[in-house]
Amino acid sequence: MSSWRKLSVSGLSLLCRRSRLPPNLHLGSHLSRLHKCYFPPHFVSCSGHHRLFPESRVFGRFSCSSESGNGRCWNCGTAAALAEPFLSCRACGSVQPVDQSVDYFQIFGLEKGYDIPDGNLEGKYKDWQKKLHPDLVHSKSEKEKTFAADQSARVNDAYRTLNKSLSRALYLMRLEGVHVDEEKTVMDPDLLAEMMDIREAVEEASDSHALKQLQTQIERKFEAWANSFREAFKRKNFDDAINSIQRMRYYDRAIEEIIKKL
Amino acid sequence: MLRVGAKRLLGLGLGHRAPALPGAAAGSGAAAVVVRGYHERVVDHYNNPRNVGSFDKNDPNVGTGLVGAPACGDVMKLQIKVDKESGKIVDACFKTFGCGSAIASSSVATEWVKGKPMEEVLSIKNTEIAKHLSLPPVKLHCSMLAEDAIKAAIKDYEAKKTRMAQQDSESVPDEKAADA
Repeated sequence: MSSWRKLSVSGLSLLCRRSRLPPNLHLGSHLSRLHKCYFPPHFVSCSGHHRLFPESRVFGRFSCSSESGNGRCWNCGTAAALAEPFLSCRACGSVQPVDQSVDYFQIFGLEKGYDIPDGNLEGKYKDWQKKLHPDLVHSKSEKEKTFAADQSARVNDAYRTLNKSLSRALYLMRLEGVHVDEEKTVMDPDLLAEMMDIREAVEEASDSHALKQLQTQIERKFEAWANSFREAFKRKNFDDAINSIQRMRYYDRAIEEIIKKL
Repeated sequence: MLRVGAKRLLGLGLGHRAPALPGAAAGSGAAAVVVRGYHERVVDHYNNPRNVGSFDKNDPNVGTGLVGAPACGDVMKLQIKVDKESGKIVDACFKTFGCGSAIASSSVATEWVKGKPMEEVLSIKNTEIAKHLSLPPVKLHCSMLAEDAIKAAIKDYEAKKTRMAQQDSESVPDEKAADA
């Protein structure tokens, strides 16, 4: 904890560059407690979610919030709604600059976790794009066009990441600050032998019926490991979680190949 | 038939992993892929696969290296057949499920280990394979996978040899007892 205080005193302007900061709620929560000490009181009641460096005048070069000025619309000055991520202004409709501290779950108004309620995602995604899409701002200022491009790209990423189980799992790990090593060669003989067999079976499958059967089998295995991930993640057993993700990835790849073949 | 099998095996891999250039569609012909960025050697290994196949895993002279890439879910199997007396690799084959670069890397690996003594092939580096195939940075891990596969195959062969030597030494006292 004390290291954060030291950082905030000496290196705050460095940290301000949002591109260096990973979306990390823990960081945000520490600093939002700190900023009460250092900044004028009215900055505290910015949006309901934690924002890293809401005011800009002190630091100047923080491109993300330099325009939005502590949770207020850069265009009309209306304050952001507390419960919603501040992507566009509810009063004048202006697209706001991207705030990296808002994570993908917050964009869709979801609890951070592996399970997400069905049917929620696509509707919310379309709603956001109705407000943020670059096509809607073609007659607006260059500044707002850039905001729209960035925001809708971010919402795209969020939707794609959360929509698939595997990417959702990986994103969760990233939010927790756990590094999932993608470089080290997999040597697990059982997993690899199984995958060899599965991939060969996919190759040799004679018709779509056989393929669909295979697909069902593999999807079942995927689900089993997805459950294992869910449990491991809840218990914060990150080694098991990583192991589960690895298996999920292999099964996912096999399913991809089947779908291509079908 | 092996060739057909190899083509089908490779076909899915290459189509899926065409380089991420705009318009690079899956399933485009080999010629289009060359224009888009696969080096001609990679395309060559894809169109004319060498050494695709399998040896008998239980053959005492065979070492099997089975490795996987975590990032993309690729699987690579590389097998070597070793001459016991000379310690030289007399034959090699591979089976890879993955992108064109992974397939080409393992194909090159099997070509390079043939006829060489085992100690020598341990020094084959992924950077050499990558250079030979002009692999882009994003595909370097494929050559790493091939290097790991070679090492795994050798390790497997050595382990097998040790196991069999142990079994032989365990059975000898019984024979002596029988003679006596």
